[in-house]
Amino acid sequence: MAEVQLKNIKKVYPFISGEDKKKSRKKADEPEKKKANLQITDEGVVAVQAFNLDIKDKEFIVLVGPSGCGKSTTLRMVAGLEEISDGELIIDGKVMNDVAPKDRDIAMVFQNYALYPHMTVYENMAFSLKLRKVPKDEIDRKVREAAEILDITQYLDRKPKALSGGQRQRVAIGRAIVRAPKVMLMDEPLSNLDAKLRNEMRAEIIKLRHRINTTFMYVTHDQTEAMTLGDRIVIMRDGYIQQIGTPQEVFNHPSNLFVAGFIGMPVMNFFDGKLTREGDKFFVEVGGYKVELAKEKEERLLKNNVQSQPVTLGVRPEHTDVGETGIAGKVDVAEMMGSSVHLHISAEGRDVIIIVPTIDMKKNYALGDPIHFTFGGNVAHVFSKETDKNLEF
Amino acid sequence: MTKRKKKSEFQKLPTGDKALLIVGYIILGLFVVAIIMPMVYIILASFIDPITLQNSGLTFDFSKWTTTAYERVLENAQIWVGFKNALIYSVLFTVLSVIVTLLAAYPMSRSDFKGRGFFNTIFVITMFFGGGLIPTYLLISNLHMLDTIWAILLPGCFSVWNMIIARTYYLGIPRDLQEAAEIDGATEMTYFFQILVPVCTPIIATISMWQFVGMWNSYFDAMIYLNDAAKQPLQLVLRSILIQNQPDPGMVSDMQSTAQRAQMAELLKYATIIISSLPLLIMYPFFQKYFDNGIMAGAVKG
Repeated sequence: MAEVQLKNIKKVYPFISGEDKKKSRKKADEPEKKKANLQITDEGVVAVQAFNLDIKDKEFIVLVGPSGCGKSTTLRMVAGLEEISDGELIIDGKVMNDVAPKDRDIAMVFQNYALYPHMTVYENMAFSLKLRKVPKDEIDRKVREAAEILDITQYLDRKPKALSGGQRQRVAIGRAIVRAPKVMLMDEPLSNLDAKLRNEMRAEIIKLRHRINTTFMYVTHDQTEAMTLGDRIVIMRDGYIQQIGTPQEVFNHPSNLFVAGFIGMPVMNFFDGKLTREGDKFFVEVGGYKVELAKEKEERLLKNNVQSQPVTLGVRPEHTDVGETGIAGKVDVAEMMGSSVHLHISAEGRDVIIIVPTIDMKKNYALGDPIHFTFGGNVAHVFSKETDKNLEF
Repeated sequence: MTKRKKKSEFQKLPTGDKALLIVGYIILGLFVVAIIMPMVYIILASFIDPITLQNSGLTFDFSKWTTTAYERVLENAQIWVGFKNALIYSVLFTVLSVIVTLLAAYPMSRSDFKGRGFFNTIFVITMFFGGGLIPTYLLISNLHMLDTIWAILLPGCFSVWNMIIARTYYLGIPRDLQEAAEIDGATEMTYFFQILVPVCTPIIATISMWQFVGMWNSYFDAMIYLNDAAKQPLQLVLRSILIQNQPDPGMVSDMQSTAQRAQMAELLKYATIIISSLPLLIMYPFFQKYFDNGIMAGAVKG
């Protein structure tokens, strides 16, 4: 249990010799190159920058973002497995930048389990306690307690190779919790499991979180995991934080186009629309359909002194209603998902998805069927065409 | 059933693959025969009366069989001393060599080891250029190691080739394992001895076997550096036995005696090959269990 503060954290991977030579050949006036998701500067490759986050005691923080966004690097910096190029990491009031991983009182669960293959499950879990010279009977008690929590008591004498993927990941979690660490770090612990097991383990982690009651930092690229597990979610892209907020906040009020597109499944629908200000009222218009924005949205836009302008309009598939009037489109595909149908529609030159609850389906749609849809002013998100930022922020 | 299934699987193959498979099996078969035949010949020949062997080759007429060669070799007291010495040298050499190799390979496998390139160059140079026999002899002599066990053990105990192989094996061990150990509180030493070495048993077994066999079969270093008969290893003793029984072309003796000595020398040659190879042949199955491919199974997601 501890508070964790990350103050202006930056991670730069210096050039290795070959890249250094390339860099020296670069002309002075040449702009900085951007390769894949990484930013290449004169210092080297910048993986994380301007990372500021205060994690409260016993909080469950989820870092989420696409591959290469710097989320694992950030976690590894907290673990001490990566050096911090700049900024300060504070755990429980102490600056930890130069403290060895073993002295940070953290535990980490790896994506690949990283179990010691020559040791039994018991030995794997007891290893860290043995190194800390904890008395034998206490080790035994703690290991059995953790095994009980994770339901792996019957496997204590087995070696990792005799376990299934899910059991191995439980052992990896068990190895982390026996030490009752101040901070528990998890680096995509469920990404190697199949869908069914992942759902089960996700529920297990929620239960575990309440039982062991410590501060969690959890890295994932799966937004469902992020939404279900986190007290707060940190969405990252290209080494920068895009938004920090509760799952509800990031879902209902995405700070920019990236967050809006990343959070939510299926992804948010985007249209080229127009924001019109008429006095203190704001309207959005797309494909001949015009709707006034909700009061609280208008207040925020007024506060930011937003004027009429072309915008990218975002509406979630579950907030779109099929009707007789509204934006016109043609049905491409109707996917039956059980409780709902996902209608894939071509409208306004874009692919649009609408989720219709099965019980509300008035007819079966076929390829090419014309369709109209609308949305309410309380669920429309307006993003600047220039900056991609949500104009409410 | 299985036979029929196998046959049908073979029949399912395209003609080109079938031909390739057949050619492959034939080549492998010939290779196996080429290895087994001389061994069988030597084993049989070591029991057959030398005159019969010379006149009519191998025979299964057991009246012509004899254990004279083995008796002659084993009645030599020096041979037991040789056995003891060879065993001591081989075991110590293997242990020393494995320790030195594993320890040297570890920093060389770490990208954060400063000076890795420099040491790598130094190591590789020794693979291509040696000091030569006389300078090495002078070095051993100046180090006062002549006629001591160290002259046998030290010069060859670090093999760059083995170090490269061990380093490559280390590089195949997932980095996550070290990071997990680091977070668990392991120091570099703890990680090396408690995590890395136990998962490296296949490579340790391989290097051990190479080094053990190499030392067991070597006689040249012992011949150069050891004068004391009590320190000579088995191969050197066997060599002496063979030489003693060779007809000396300079000596004037009757034709029959020369022929007998020549035949006996031939017989002894076979017996000494068997005697010196036997411990190694017995040893192989014991090493077999360490060549376990699955040692890393379960450590990380495969």
